[in-house]
Amino acid sequence: MAENKRILVADDESHILHVVSLKLRNAGYDVLTARDGQEAYDLAVAEKPDLLITDYHMPQMSGLELCQKLKQDPSTSGIPAIMLSARGYHLEPQDTEQSGILRMLSKPFSPRQLLATVNEVLNRAA
Amino acid sequence: MEKESVNVTRGKYIPLLVLLMIVGGAACLWAGEVNLRTLTTVQMPLFTAGILFFLAACAGLLSLANSRTGQRRLARNLSQMVNQGKLAYVDCPSTTVMGLTAAVNDAVSYAERAVDDAKSRVDEIAIELKVALAARHHAEAILHSISDAVLVTDVFDEVVLANEAAAKAFGFNLAESTRSPIDKLLKDQKMIELIRDMRQGSTRNTRRIIEHAMTTPAGGNQAFKVTFAAVPGQDNKAAGVVAVLHDMTKEKEVAAMKNDFVSHVSHELRTPLASIKAYVEMLIDGEAEDEKTEREFYDIIQSEANRLGRLIDNILNISRIESGLVKINKQPHSLMVILKEAVEVITPQSTLKNITLTDKLPPVFYQVLADKDTLYQGVLNLLSNAVKYTPDGGRISVVTSIDEATRRVTVKITDTGVGIPPKDLPFVFDKFYRVEANNKMAKGTGLGLSLVKHIVETVHQGTILAESEVGKGSCFGFELDLLE
Repeated sequence: MAENKRILVADDESHILHVVSLKLRNAGYDVLTARDGQEAYDLAVAEKPDLLITDYHMPQMSGLELCQKLKQDPSTSGIPAIMLSARGYHLEPQDTEQSGILRMLSKPFSPRQLLATVNEVLNRAA
Repeated sequence: MEKESVNVTRGKYIPLLVLLMIVGGAACLWAGEVNLRTLTTVQMPLFTAGILFFLAACAGLLSLANSRTGQRRLARNLSQMVNQGKLAYVDCPSTTVMGLTAAVNDAVSYAERAVDDAKSRVDEIAIELKVALAARHHAEAILHSISDAVLVTDVFDEVVLANEAAAKAFGFNLAESTRSPIDKLLKDQKMIELIRDMRQGSTRNTRRIIEHAMTTPAGGNQAFKVTFAAVPGQDNKAAGVVAVLHDMTKEKEVAAMKNDFVSHVSHELRTPLASIKAYVEMLIDGEAEDEKTEREFYDIIQSEANRLGRLIDNILNISRIESGLVKINKQPHSLMVILKEAVEVITPQSTLKNITLTDKLPPVFYQVLADKDTLYQGVLNLLSNAVKYTPDGGRISVVTSIDEATRRVTVKITDTGVGIPPKDLPFVFDKFYRVEANNKMAKGTGLGLSLVKHIVETVHQGTILAESEVGKGSCFGFELDLLE
């Protein structure tokens, strides 16, 4: 099921980026990584990944701004997103509508649970 | 002084005395023509009576003359008293006006006592007035020294008392405020209504506290906690209103900053904890493909646990220094050694960002009385900030200079970083304060500089320095006394 699915992971914390990438790669996904919002946006526009996993608090551009920007661009508006947040951000229905964020996981998170969420979102998207 | 009239009977008996003298004189003349021995029993008593009448008239005239002299003297004494404007006892040797003199002197004595009583009452009143004036000045001094705005109105809703804080909050001229009607003096309609309501209400509701936001004279919006108190008057009506306005802006800011701080701190704590939890789970799930990866995971867990520990230490240190709980051990230390150590520790981080970190530290062994751990922490915080807010490829320099005259050493850490807007610069040492414009540049709790300020000023009695220009960079540093 994970074949040919590409996931873009954006986080300024290198350890988190590393562990999420490893978990997803071990599960058979292709993983792209970005260390800030701007880099993630550029990569998303260029690579059109199947899913975006992003941290909320990032330099240059926050995770929310990134998702909203991608949602506004017709070429990237279909990319679903999972948000990781250390701030206990509460996901509102309009967030999904305006930014394509389908799930919110709060830090500290379980990589196992993240993988389950990724599988669920991609199955639904597919 | 009450004027007393002295009524003396005079001249009333003169015609009678003159008549008696004529009769007496005639009797004597007649006696001259008659031989006393030949006087008949009828003539003898008449003659005797004539003599007696004459003598009595002479005595009366003499007495009258005496009495008139006494009266004149008495009158002169009294008019002297009036002319000189002071009370004095009258002195009149005339026996005929003795009673009158005594009565006048009694009156003078009574008047003197009354004047003395009045004088001491006047003295008492003067003292009471002085005390009341002093109390008023005292109350005014208190009123003007308090930072809360105080406005006192009377039964006509006119200002009877106000302080400078009130003048500032409402934007009126303090000197012209007394006796001004509030609807002319105040622009805030709500305040006018509240004061009126309070005055018109029953004095049984003596206090009312509300939160009220007002437009300040400068145009901003300021939140106040307003306490209204009715001044008790007659018939259960208020004789006036005291309004005390406490500026809540700072409290609200502090509350907002605390919320922000909790949010920042929880974010900062969650981040390393997230790594620890994730890597532990990966190890449990056997996701580390080889021993090398496994080792790497353990290392990450350890370093993130250390990071968590440092963060907690930082938060605790600041509250400990603030509350005076931290143990300070000040010893003579070489400032250069402390600076060198901090520079060495921060070098890997600056190298990662391609930042040129230079130090111009004299080889001279300058000593300062320092708590090495906290001073090292302070220098490290300044260096870490310089690295965080300097873009890749920038420069950071650490320079010291000695002022021989004041025997002080200045340490300056200058960067080519993003800089701090002038509006933010005065607040960068405030706890939890974050420069909004630079929020995206790096993460932080808003505690680092606050801790440095405490370390320099509270622990080392030094002076903290900060200069900055947006786009050019910042210079943070401190001054300490040199050890002789």
